Amino acid sequence: MLGGIAMITKEKLKNYANKLMFDMNDDEYETLLKEFDVISKYMDLFGEIENIESVEPMTFPFELDSIELRNDSDSRNIEIEDALSNTGSKKGREIRVPKVVD
Amino acid sequence: MIEKTIEELRKDLDSKKITSSELVKESIELAYKYQNDYNSFVTICDDAAINEESKGALSGIPCAIKDNMSTKGILTTASSNILKNYVPFFDATVVEKLKKAGAVNIGKTVLDELAMGGTGTTGHTGPTRNPWDKERLIGGSSCGSAAAVALGIVPFSIGSDTGDSIRKPAAYGGIVGYKPTYGLVSRFGLFPFACSLDHVGCFTRSVKDAAIVMDGIKGNDKRDMTSLPDTNVNFENEITNDIKGKKLFYIKEIADRKTYEDDYDEELEQIITNFEKVIEDYKKLGATVEPISFDMKVLDAIYPAYLTISCAEATSNNSNLTGIIFGPRGEGESIEKIMFDARTKGFSELIKRRFVTGSYILQKENQERCFLNAQRVRRIVVDKMTQLYKTYDGMIGPAAGSIAPKFKSENVDKLSKRNLILENYLAIGNFGGFPSITLPCGFVNKMPIGLNITGAVRKDLEVLNIAYALESIYPYKGQIAKEVK
Repeated sequence: MLGGIAMITKEKLKNYANKLMFDMNDDEYETLLKEFDVISKYMDLFGEIENIESVEPMTFPFELDSIELRNDSDSRNIEIEDALSNTGSKKGREIRVPKVVD
Repeated sequence: MIEKTIEELRKDLDSKKITSSELVKESIELAYKYQNDYNSFVTICDDAAINEESKGALSGIPCAIKDNMSTKGILTTASSNILKNYVPFFDATVVEKLKKAGAVNIGKTVLDELAMGGTGTTGHTGPTRNPWDKERLIGGSSCGSAAAVALGIVPFSIGSDTGDSIRKPAAYGGIVGYKPTYGLVSRFGLFPFACSLDHVGCFTRSVKDAAIVMDGIKGNDKRDMTSLPDTNVNFENEITNDIKGKKLFYIKEIADRKTYEDDYDEELEQIITNFEKVIEDYKKLGATVEPISFDMKVLDAIYPAYLTISCAEATSNNSNLTGIIFGPRGEGESIEKIMFDARTKGFSELIKRRFVTGSYILQKENQERCFLNAQRVRRIVVDKMTQLYKTYDGMIGPAAGSIAPKFKSENVDKLSKRNLILENYLAIGNFGGFPSITLPCGFVNKMPIGLNITGAVRKDLEVLNIAYALESIYPYKGQIAKEVK
């Protein structure tokens, strides 16, 4: 155990990366593993603040009093020509995609 | 001509001493001239269009825009390989407003990849160099926008600021960098890094110019649900350098030499001495300046809290960069494999490391200790600041703990007070959405240093006034980097 949490390993880091749909090479995982020495110490700094557990977490800079719910109606549409303008491959008015279903 | 401030150029344009076409031509020529040495731009807009019909304060004025803001029909890469071919079909609100105001976008500026960095070295087109000394970085993430203004290519540029990404490069570049109150400028069309911390702001070479730019880009936007309601304030007309009776404070521990005992050096001594002079100058201007003590444990936790919240939000915000909706298509036999391949190839190592950090923070078993505690630190800091703003009009402090570092600097001690606190406390402004401005306040070893002023939510005019007053007695207004002068 390190700082009250389970030890970080290369395998765990690989798992975290894979959950986010990418991979890194061995050297990159080694660098990250070393970086976690510092990150773990950073996280420990939170626990040193007295009574931190009694504070309500803050998710946004300040209370907004101007938020209105929008009506559930179309407000913006993307023109087909605009949508097609950024595609790598298209045929007529359709985007060409690789076959991924048998 | 182009090296003048917006205010001066406006007079020259109105008196027909120059034309907008001449200014734009000069600006584009300078952009090309300095590109190899400094790398400010991802794209230079040779065909920059002039809006002849606009008559506003910004009409006919060339500007540059950070490459993480959507520009219709113009490549917008976020300085990342995963978006290297992306051409938006709509303008960000800030871009739309600039166009309407008649400003002329002459180029898209380099940033740290996806705005996730503070060095200005991680963009996919290479590092941006500091116009005061090419061996030094300009800081990030808004590196190209800062360099373009410090080089005198444009009188203003647009940047984004999630931790200090406008205000620190401004200090390293000897210019003004302004991040307004959260919600004053719409974020619609800005590629999000960490939504609860992201702000759109500007770089200029004078405080008045920052007020002029803000008048042009502020305003309620239905497309950004965090956008503030409109007010009648006109920063350009209402700005004043009369700050008699204003009450300022600084964080005692930040200005205390004893805080940095472990890695104190001559450079830091000069930065703190300069700050003490600023305090005296504010007193001469009629303001009161008082030290306020913060819990050192809270100060230590500001940067870790910033890192935690921003990495966590970033992992989620960038989940749309899949090679399917955005980015070059990956290879594979299934959708999962295609996405996996695109993301593995598309992100640089640094970005991947940040994402993994975010992933770690958000794991169920780590959330309490990491993510929720970081959000608790955020509240402690913001509550303390909000309480102080009931008495004080603004907080002042050095904008950075050093002059712009060299590219090949020695490794910094990431747990030192200098790094944890002085180098990174500006994130306070993002935690609370407080308006915050950096302006040049002196030189150390021939490199510029900056002062930061942070005020209460919605008190942007107050913050501009406090900056404007100091600028009026200092010789740095309108300065351009001497290496290129």
